[in-house]
Amino acid sequence: MAQRFSDMFLAFMSKLTSKYSIYLILLAMLVICSLLSPAFFSAKNLSNISRQISITTIISFGMTMLIIAGLIDLAAGSVMALAGILSVAIYKATGSLVIAMVTGIVIGIACNLVSGFVVTRFKTPPFIATLAMMTSARGAALLYTNGQNIYQLDQFVIFGQGDIFGIPTPVIVMVIISLVTWYLLNNTRFGRHLYAIGGNEDAARASGIKVNQTKMTAYAISGAFVGLAGVLFMSRVNAGLPNAGIGFEFDAMTASIIGGTSFSGGVGTAMGTLVGAFIMGFLNNIMNLLGIQSYLQQIIKGGIIVIAVAYDIMSKNKKTASQLGNIEERGKEA
Amino acid sequence: MKLIGKLALCLLSASLLTSAAWAQTPAPKNGKTYRIAYIARAQGDSFAAWLADAVVKEVKKYPDTQVTVFDGQSKNELIASHIENAVTSKYDLILLQPLDSEAQVAPVKEAVKAGVKVVTVNNRVNDASIPAVDADPIQQAEVNAKLAVKQVPQNAKVVVLMGPAGNMHSDKRREGWKKFFFDQRKDVKIVGEQIANWNKDEGMRLMEDWIQTHGKIDAIVSMNDNMAAGALEAVKGSGAKSYPLTYGVDGTAEACLKIKAGEMTSTSLQSAFSLAELSVKMSHDLLTGKKVETPQFITAELITKENADKFIKMHKDLGNIK
Repeated sequence: MAQRFSDMFLAFMSKLTSKYSIYLILLAMLVICSLLSPAFFSAKNLSNISRQISITTIISFGMTMLIIAGLIDLAAGSVMALAGILSVAIYKATGSLVIAMVTGIVIGIACNLVSGFVVTRFKTPPFIATLAMMTSARGAALLYTNGQNIYQLDQFVIFGQGDIFGIPTPVIVMVIISLVTWYLLNNTRFGRHLYAIGGNEDAARASGIKVNQTKMTAYAISGAFVGLAGVLFMSRVNAGLPNAGIGFEFDAMTASIIGGTSFSGGVGTAMGTLVGAFIMGFLNNIMNLLGIQSYLQQIIKGGIIVIAVAYDIMSKNKKTASQLGNIEERGKEA
Repeated sequence: MKLIGKLALCLLSASLLTSAAWAQTPAPKNGKTYRIAYIARAQGDSFAAWLADAVVKEVKKYPDTQVTVFDGQSKNELIASHIENAVTSKYDLILLQPLDSEAQVAPVKEAVKAGVKVVTVNNRVNDASIPAVDADPIQQAEVNAKLAVKQVPQNAKVVVLMGPAGNMHSDKRREGWKKFFFDQRKDVKIVGEQIANWNKDEGMRLMEDWIQTHGKIDAIVSMNDNMAAGALEAVKGSGAKSYPLTYGVDGTAEACLKIKAGEMTSTSLQSAFSLAELSVKMSHDLLTGKKVETPQFITAELITKENADKFIKMHKDLGNIK
């Protein structure tokens, strides 16, 4: 009896560490950071971190969907800047927050549809197609603004600097987007198709999935997130910055990958991405709180990314290995 | 058929590449025309864009001279090929805004050897024989630092925002701040000093974290205006009742407005107009065989609440503020 109980406990623990390894890393970081700096574990600082990560995390959710389907979007940072710039310009021209917001989202969708079209129609590798979009969108943002920042945004700042019941608006948007992503991935046919395409595209096509249409939809949805992020970004910094978001696509991918999304496709979750984003957010924040020198920060960040991902993969492999073992045993019995 | 398609594609991309050159001024009808190739560091950088516009406008004052602008796109290898192309296309003079003081030495020397005159503006190459017009980054910091020495309270908590790692302007401005402020005010404590890459959003995020750790910060010393403006955005977001003393460099439209509104303390203007005026004059003098003194420096003008209106008007004329 006691033996059985301890077996069950061990099984439970191993399941916990494999399935929820990423959550355990987050928890460990929370504890360690709180011990390192008294300023870390306070409502104000946690809200501060959430606000800081919100914009790249919104992009991360779109990126997660794309990576699950075996796609990628290198243009996210540039498209975000273009969408944000045009949204600011439209706001300054019309004075309407709603039209400005819609413009940003539409620009994001439009740019990504072009990328999606090039990927699906011409069979261009997503890496190349979105690399091209990255340059073009940045060029367009610079051309439109003549390389200058746009100032005096007046009411436009409420998207990024406002709050609802004390919670910063971008954080609320991030939570909504995470729920939307979770719903799309888990409860819709579109979501299941993304996993199927990422797992094995030929098999997916053979089973009747409209692969191209699903890919276009994924690009469009991620474009909408990117456009929304652009509006929030410009609003948060209270300026239209044509140089904004350089390298954001990599921050977005990092959160995704730390959160367990696999670059080989077919694997990834919305909650994992959110946790991955918080891990990076905690890390950036604690290093600044402790006053760690800039150059050193970059090295530490690289190290933590490798450790987190390696631990996650190792614990998952253990799980797969034990499952395979079970199957073999069962095979012998039969 | 395929071959024709490929050829057409090559031609198209070649024409796209050459169309990177733009803004050609019309040539005068008679007499010798001097052709200047202006190679900008990166048209995507707001100051470089302003300088390129100012150079084009300035050249129009010289009817015997015309200029073509090339975009270096922040790439040393591209700038080198622009220089080589300018030599091949037989430009009379190359006016160069160097990206890297060392990387451009070799191509510049080659151009000089080939008989093309070279003037640098807004940064120098590591070769004193090349005529240069520049702003003095130490002096840009000095004018602000001298004000800060009097304004910053005893035992103040100060944060410092830096430009990209190894950037000459950022490092020299920081040197100026050390010499004219930090060395003279040993009571002041630097509670945070980080790289924010000239960016507003990065300056904002760093300041948000610093406010969490240190509470009230007395002064922000920033190597440019964008980062200072970002830090002020963070102060606003924290719900603080007053703004810390905040010093920048550049004299951007946003900084001028913030200084006027009392949110920012001071900045110093690096005037693209003055740089363009001096460098185009130097170029023209060289082309017409006159002797020039080198290097020449523009002076950094301090912008405070008292004179902010003048600079806001300048930005309005430039179309930076509506």
